[in-house]
Amino acid sequence: MDVNDKTLKALTTALNFREMRQELISSNVANANTPGYKAKKMDFEEALARALDVDGQMQMNVKDERHHTVGNGGFNNLEPEIYDDPNGVVSENGNTVDVEAEMAKMAENKLMYDALVQLINKKMGIMKYAINSDK
Amino acid sequence: MDLLSSLRISSSGLAAQRKRMEAHSSNIANAQTTRTAEGGPYRRKEVVFGSEPARETFSEILEGELSENAQTVHATEVVHSDKVVYKHDPSHPDANSEGYVAMPDINPMVEMANMIEAQRAYESNVTALNVTKQMATKTLEIGRGN
Repeated sequence: MDVNDKTLKALTTALNFREMRQELISSNVANANTPGYKAKKMDFEEALARALDVDGQMQMNVKDERHHTVGNGGFNNLEPEIYDDPNGVVSENGNTVDVEAEMAKMAENKLMYDALVQLINKKMGIMKYAINSDK
Repeated sequence: MDLLSSLRISSSGLAAQRKRMEAHSSNIANAQTTRTAEGGPYRRKEVVFGSEPARETFSEILEGELSENAQTVHATEVVHSDKVVYKHDPSHPDANSEGYVAMPDINPMVEMANMIEAQRAYESNVTALNVTKQMATKTLEIGRGN
């Protein structure tokens, strides 16, 4: 088993993105009354799925080490997509933050974050078991 | 670390909403004030919010796209309304020769509604702060107990 394998990389990348999303949601909630502020949204799931390359459809052969890889090892080049939420309802002061929706998003984000931490711990537990299995 | 700037953003929201709360309670308290240090009746206060990027240092800005998108909030200015309403009350010590008193232009109902809005916004920032705190605590659990 490769210690620095895809699973652990994917988990830590996802953890990083969840932290960023929390920051963005905090920003939206804090600016719920700021005139002209536009609610921000962030997508990373698709980019992560591409990097994970679950079904092997998007694998590229890398002939030169300067080429970007899409499959394994592609985690370093991942960029989340951040944009103004197009579904925001514009209030009279030009603000598009929906606080209720942001709170729901935050609850979901926190649950997923906790799940990721648990998965990382499980993964480490398995590795530790493998290391100690001859005892 | 991103969670720390999340905390900073939420606390900026708390500070801004508290300033707004202060302005509205000051308005309610002074709804009948006719004498101020500047002279004349009390002028209604209103806090205006503005947003600014959450990251300030060069290395933080280098971190990427999020730097312009995650914004803290701050009270940019306190606006004083110049509006004064004249009330007919000849017995008032500050009444003019025709019996009219210059009173602050304050509607307690509007102030109460604004205060409730500020309170709710404050509460949602507290919730965001708590969630961030829980996430940070959870992070410390990585690698523990294996």
